[in-house]
Amino acid sequence: MDATTIADLARPTLTQGVRLQIDSATGKNVLLYPEGIVELNDTAHEIVSRCDGRTLGEIVQALAEEYETDAAALAADVREILMALQHRKLVELT
Amino acid sequence: MTVPRPYALLAEVTYRCPLHCPYCSNPVTLVSPSSSEAWAKEDIHSEEPAGSVALRTPHTPTGNGELTTEEWKRVIQEAAALGVLQIGFSGGEPLARPDLAELVRSARETKLYTNLVTSGIGLDDDRLRALRDAGLDSIQLSFQSDKPNLADEIAGARAHERKRSVAAKIRASGIPLSLNFVIHRRNIDRLAQMIELAEALDAERVELANVQFYGWAFRNRAALLPTREQVARARDVATAAKARLAGQIDIFYVLPDYYETRPKPCLNGWGQRYLTVNPIGDVLPCPTASSAIPDLRLENVRARDLDWIWRESESFNRFRGTEWMPEPCQSCPQREIDFGGCRCQAALLTGNAANTDPVCEFSPDRARVDAVLSEIHSCEHTDEWTYRTNPSAVAVSM
Repeated sequence: MDATTIADLARPTLTQGVRLQIDSATGKNVLLYPEGIVELNDTAHEIVSRCDGRTLGEIVQALAEEYETDAAALAADVREILMALQHRKLVELT
Repeated sequence: MTVPRPYALLAEVTYRCPLHCPYCSNPVTLVSPSSSEAWAKEDIHSEEPAGSVALRTPHTPTGNGELTTEEWKRVIQEAAALGVLQIGFSGGEPLARPDLAELVRSARETKLYTNLVTSGIGLDDDRLRALRDAGLDSIQLSFQSDKPNLADEIAGARAHERKRSVAAKIRASGIPLSLNFVIHRRNIDRLAQMIELAEALDAERVELANVQFYGWAFRNRAALLPTREQVARARDVATAAKARLAGQIDIFYVLPDYYETRPKPCLNGWGQRYLTVNPIGDVLPCPTASSAIPDLRLENVRARDLDWIWRESESFNRFRGTEWMPEPCQSCPQREIDFGGCRCQAALLTGNAANTDPVCEFSPDRARVDAVLSEIHSCEHTDEWTYRTNPSAVAVSM
C-alpha cells in the first residue's frame, strides 16, 4: 500500500525495468517501462535524475542549492511528484 | 495532414509457435514458410509500378521466407530513426528464432526499450542469460489458466508446468515479469485464481485481456465469447483485485468489446503510434490487418524503407486522421476519442473496413454484434473450437 507521504530518509530509485532516456524525436525526457512511456516535465526530470540512491532529504537539498530556493518550500513539490511516480510503480522507495 | 511519429514497433519475428491456442490473433491462413506462397505473397505486396524490386539488404534467403537477422537489424535501426521508443518481440513464439538475443542487443544499441512477448517454451537458462546480457528490459509471459489440465487443453500442448518454472527463472534473473492471460468462456470463471497465480509467481504486472476476435479467435468466437453473466462477475473480481493489490501488482483488465456500447480507441488511431512488421517483412498499421482487410496493399521492408512506409504509403494513410470517416462517425463528438473503433473489426463484421466499428451503439451494423451475442446465449451455441496450426501445416477443417 502507498504511504501517505515519503520520509526524508527514504531513498527513491527508479523501479527495476524503468529507464530514463531522452526522446530523440522531441528532445524531452521520458521514462520507459513495460509497454508504457511517460514524458517528464522539467521539474520531474530534475527530481528523477537525482534518484540515484540519495535520500529524499538529500535530493531536496541538492535542488535547493542548484536553484537557490528554500528547501522547505521545495520539499512538498518533490514529495508530490515522487508519490505520483511511486503510485505508478515507476519509482520505488528503499 | 501532419504525420505523427510512431512510439512502438511490434516485431512479429516468426509465426512458428509450439502452442496452438484457439484464440490466437495470427492470420488463419498463415503464410507457409517452407512453401513458395511466402514468396508469392511478398512479391505481390512489394511489387512496384516500374516492375522489378531491388532488395534493400543483401539477402541470403532464410529458406522459410522470414526476414534474416540483418534485415531485422535494419528494420530496428529504421524504426529508431523514425522515433520509435519501444519494441515488442512477438510472433508466433519469438524464441523460435535462434537470433533473438542478437536482435534484442541490436535494439538496445539503438536505445529502444525491449519487451519479449513469449509462451516461455524454449526459454532455458542459457537463452535467458543471453537475453539478459543482451539488455532485454522486460518479459511478458503468457498463461492459459491457473489450472494445469485446463491450461494445457487450451494451449493444445503440455506447457503449463514448464511456464511456471520459466516464470521463477525470469524472476531470479532480475528481468521484470508481466503475466498475460487471454480471457474467454472456458477460463473467465477462474479469474480470481489466475490473479492468485500471478501473486504466487511474484509478477509485477498482470494483463487479463478478454479475447479480441481476429485471426483464429474470429474463427472460434462462438466457442470463446463469454456470457453476459460471466462478464459481469469477472468485472467485479478484477475491480476487487485491483484495489486489493494496488502498489503490489499492476492489474490491467481489458473488457470484451462485444459487450460494450462504444468501440475501443483502436491503436489510438490508425497510423498514429504503432506499427507492426510481420515475419516476412510486411509492414502493418495493425497486426491483424493483413487477414482482416485483404484489399490493404501492404508494403514490405525488403522493397521500401520504414520512413516512407510510415509517412507515404497508402496503407498507413488510408484511415489516418478523420477525413475517411463515414457517418455516424464523421459528425460524432467522440470521433477523436475512439477514432471510429477498430478497422479490422469493421472489415470482419461488415465487409468494409471504412465502416463504423459495429460495436458502437450508433453503428447501423450493431445488429451483427447482437446476433453473435444472442447466439451464444442460446442453447444451441457450440463449445467446439479449432486449434491454431503452424505455418507449415495445412489449415484444418472446422
